Amino acid sequence: MAQCLIKPDIDFARSLSEAGGESLKKCYQCATCAVACPMAPANAPYPRKEMVWASWGLKDKLTSDVDIWLCHNCGNCSDLCPRGANPADVMSAARNTVYKTLTEPTCVGELMSKPQGLPILFGIPALLWLIVWWLRAGFNGGTWFPTRADGSIVFGDIFYGDYTIDPIFMLTFFGALFIIARGAMKLWKMFSPEGKLTVVGEKKCWVWHLWDVLVEEVIFATHFDDCQKGPKTGKPEAGRRVGHTILVWAFCALAFVTAVVALGHWGGKVIPAIEITTPLKPLNLIKIIANVGALMLVVGLAMLTIRRFMENKKTHTSNYYDWYLLGVIWAVALTGIFSQIFRLAEAVGPAFLVYYLHLVFVWMLFAYLPWSKLGHLVYRTVALLHVRMYGRKY
Amino acid sequence: MSNAILVVGGGFSGLTAAIEAAELGHDVYIVEKSPWLGGRVAQLNKYFPKLCPPSCGLEIQFQRIRKNPRIHVLTMAEVVGLSGQKGDYNVRVAIKPRKTPPHNVDFTFLASSLDGTTPSEFDLGLSERKGLYKAMPFAYPARYVLDTDTLSKADMARLAANEKLNMDEEPREVSLQVGAIVVATGWKPYDVTNLSNLGAGSVKNCVSNMQLERLASPFGPTQGNIVRPSDGRIPHNVAFVQCAGSRDQNHLNFCSYICCMATLKHCLYLAEQHPQTEVTVFYIDLRAPGRYVKVLEKVQALPNVHFIKGKVANVEQGKDNTCVIQAEDAIRGEKLTLNYDMVVLATGMQPSLATEKLPLPVPVDSDGFITGGEEAGIYACGCALMPLDVTRSAQSGTAAALKAVQTVKGR
Repeated sequence: MAQCLIKPDIDFARSLSEAGGESLKKCYQCATCAVACPMAPANAPYPRKEMVWASWGLKDKLTSDVDIWLCHNCGNCSDLCPRGANPADVMSAARNTVYKTLTEPTCVGELMSKPQGLPILFGIPALLWLIVWWLRAGFNGGTWFPTRADGSIVFGDIFYGDYTIDPIFMLTFFGALFIIARGAMKLWKMFSPEGKLTVVGEKKCWVWHLWDVLVEEVIFATHFDDCQKGPKTGKPEAGRRVGHTILVWAFCALAFVTAVVALGHWGGKVIPAIEITTPLKPLNLIKIIANVGALMLVVGLAMLTIRRFMENKKTHTSNYYDWYLLGVIWAVALTGIFSQIFRLAEAVGPAFLVYYLHLVFVWMLFAYLPWSKLGHLVYRTVALLHVRMYGRKY
Repeated sequence: MSNAILVVGGGFSGLTAAIEAAELGHDVYIVEKSPWLGGRVAQLNKYFPKLCPPSCGLEIQFQRIRKNPRIHVLTMAEVVGLSGQKGDYNVRVAIKPRKTPPHNVDFTFLASSLDGTTPSEFDLGLSERKGLYKAMPFAYPARYVLDTDTLSKADMARLAANEKLNMDEEPREVSLQVGAIVVATGWKPYDVTNLSNLGAGSVKNCVSNMQLERLASPFGPTQGNIVRPSDGRIPHNVAFVQCAGSRDQNHLNFCSYICCMATLKHCLYLAEQHPQTEVTVFYIDLRAPGRYVKVLEKVQALPNVHFIKGKVANVEQGKDNTCVIQAEDAIRGEKLTLNYDMVVLATGMQPSLATEKLPLPVPVDSDGFITGGEEAGIYACGCALMPLDVTRSAQSGTAAALKAVQTVKGR
């Protein structure tokens, strides 16, 4: 047997405790958790091995572990854990460590890891959009809250698409995409075992595996139901699948709307027939999709938030990463809905203020994506793709 | 002022305390809730490390009680009230009606002729008992109990005419003057219905360790043959689930101390009776305190006994009434799903006072173990104090007797 030199990292074990895994020292390796988890494979199941890595401070092992991403955080392991060591929280803390340290610039990850970073993270887009507002107010003769002759409000009069909103968001979006893609590639390398692994049985091209992952995991979130298949814990079913799916579909609807409007706007400059001008009329099909999406966002969010509040605090703790993401999406949804309401109500002051905040929060959602919990959209997909390539289902 | 001593509980530690105090010349009252003395030890087949049957140690205690006129035994009795102070207590004891005569009438034939049955408490539900019953052959007092609730109508009619039985006997209350009290309320097996992921007691052929003792006992439901309760077949393979409810903050937050040794003893029962049967013990840590490590070494040397480090966290019913268990072999890092003919849950000991209140001023901790009371002249011993084996229970009984004697002496 090959010898393994263990290099414990006490600082890492400590930082893991800070990131939400405070209870890990109580673990006595009874391996109940590995059985409690219906998703854990027969060979090298989790999370017992992660618990020992975490308490020994084996940072490399834990952060390069594919299994932390396969955990869907149902908490069966924490419910059955005889010591209250809360393996689910430790897994969650390990994921948070990856959010924090995986991609450059890691100073953002540092800021994203604790509430103290929030003022700076909020301040950056707040200043950015304030400058835009100030610049555009100059074009309107110094008016910060302009209205049209008929009294209607057009946000474009201040937050002008062509030269401000669109370029800034495109830069932000593709920048974040670039960073997270690098992170995904780095993660893939970390997941890959040393040497060559022979996969026995039928093989599929990675594209088809990716398709399966997207359909089964992202669009329908079927594995949340698989979480219920474990040993009986005596607690009621969480029903997380519904809330999460509604949220994902809401994002899909809103992304679709954004894409159509962008295509109509920029494409319209080339092909006038497909031109779309904003604001859209309330009964426009695209607008209806957007509003249905916004409502779904609120419903999904409410379900997920209520579930977190109802959780047994002894066995499940929601950490700062959980609340940051929920908070930002709540802020995006509410500012979006209220800016529309104020706009239609022609309340010019609140309309522009709320829309300004909406832009701030949307920018936060996208720009900080690689270091936020939303990164799981990419990192978990990468992990699932990776194990499927090696013959595991999950 | 009274020189008498009250002992609450007639199990091994209570009996020891009572006998030691009585043999030093004190009047002793034993108040026992069940109809017979002996407590949990009476239910065992054998006790470790010498593997002698309970008739060995218990029978000697019964002899000493029988010969000592200072010991007064109240069975089917419970303490319901206490007044006074250290050295001068007045204890009220409620006694349930036994409905059988005070002398030892042998009702064997009459009992066997009855129809009505109910699950036997003594056999932990593995057998049925009649309405007129005696739990074990060497029971002390060697008297039957008439449980009229279990009688069928025909039984009622048959027994009504029997002049030896008193169907209408009423419960009564007595009061005792004592100077000190020994609390030996003991323990009970942890309730398996709380173990939701271990089948909650509903999986066939998944028994508790105390049930296995009854199966192995020559006076038990199978006359000592360790077989599957569902079909009476000899099990080809048996799994032991250690720490079933012990060392678990959701159940018993402490180590029950004896379950590892009990399981090792059960391995020896099986190896003796069915040498071909494969036995696997799933454990977190094996705890063989002190000299008991010799038993562990002996069992580890058995060819058909295997040990796997990893707690069983799932038990379900399999095909043909087998039990399917899941555990991770924590040394190899492999999750195992295995089929066994029989599974034994090594449940721990829960102090009786965890669920029952005693009208005595004794503080208990969150687990139900007694933590004090000595300033009031009330001394705990046995498993009411902490999880103990029989030897150490007896020692703690002697210790409590000595303290109680010192409290009342010289008056």
